[in-house]
Amino acid sequence: MKRYVLYSIALGFVWCFVHGVVSLSNFLIGAMIGPFLIRPFKELYSLGEEISYREKLNRIPKQIHYFSILIVEIVKASIVVAKIVLQPKIDIRPGIIAVPIRAKTDVGITAIANTITLTPGTLTIDVSDDRTALYVHCIDIDNAKEIRDSIKDDLEEYVLEAFE
Amino acid sequence: MNNITVIQDILSNFFFFAGMFFVFLGMLGLYRLPDVYNRLHATTKIGTLGAFGVMMGIVIKLGFGPMGIKAITVGLFLLLTAPVAAHMISRAAHRHGVGLCEESTVDDYGKTYCLINSSCPVKHEETIEDEHDQM
Repeated sequence: MKRYVLYSIALGFVWCFVHGVVSLSNFLIGAMIGPFLIRPFKELYSLGEEISYREKLNRIPKQIHYFSILIVEIVKASIVVAKIVLQPKIDIRPGIIAVPIRAKTDVGITAIANTITLTPGTLTIDVSDDRTALYVHCIDIDNAKEIRDSIKDDLEEYVLEAFE
Repeated sequence: MNNITVIQDILSNFFFFAGMFFVFLGMLGLYRLPDVYNRLHATTKIGTLGAFGVMMGIVIKLGFGPMGIKAITVGLFLLLTAPVAAHMISRAAHRHGVGLCEESTVDDYGKTYCLINSSCPVKHEETIEDEHDQM
């Protein structure tokens, strides 16, 4: 039941943003339609698990921190790829490497995969069958270990804090 | 009052041009880079930033009215969906046997995937060697 309330509130905000006018009436309309939308797709929401509001609220600052880092990384990534594209002769050594991950939940794995795609020079291709590794395409592999370490130390820390 | 609108115009035009420039670079990358996976690098990252830049330009120009808020929403959706789209395209390409370009150095995914599924159409050096050994 707690999850229904949380997702309805979230969907209420989404409706406000899609509609374009953030107001109480719009929010209430969204929040009222929300449960009917969640109902047919309830497998996707894992409604069975117990959660606490306090824990979710405590994570919000960390999630904001994560998004600020993500935006900086996207700008860096675009500049890296732009440099490669603008070279007179394209000199790259691409390849696919396996990167072990520590995230266990679906949300955590999705977040880390999307983060990897949006950061410089890397693109997630698939999750391994036992969900312990991601296959990552790198545009320029100098040192596979270095890339693995940078993903593990820089990005995964924030993702684990924000979503697990 | 007048000064503020001038600054707003300059800032929003700056964001428009930056966004458009990055979208242009993305298209250039799509044309110049060698294979599917490298091209996806160009279109996802640069495309996201470019579209985001244009959306920010709209927000600055129109303020937080209905249009500005919709622009923010579109930007956030792009941010969430572009990586997923890239992930699905690259995965589908790899499973259909689209190989990496000649410059590529390693392919961990191909090895494991081909060892698990013998019907995989990608022929890698290792599997070919195994066949030779059996003969």
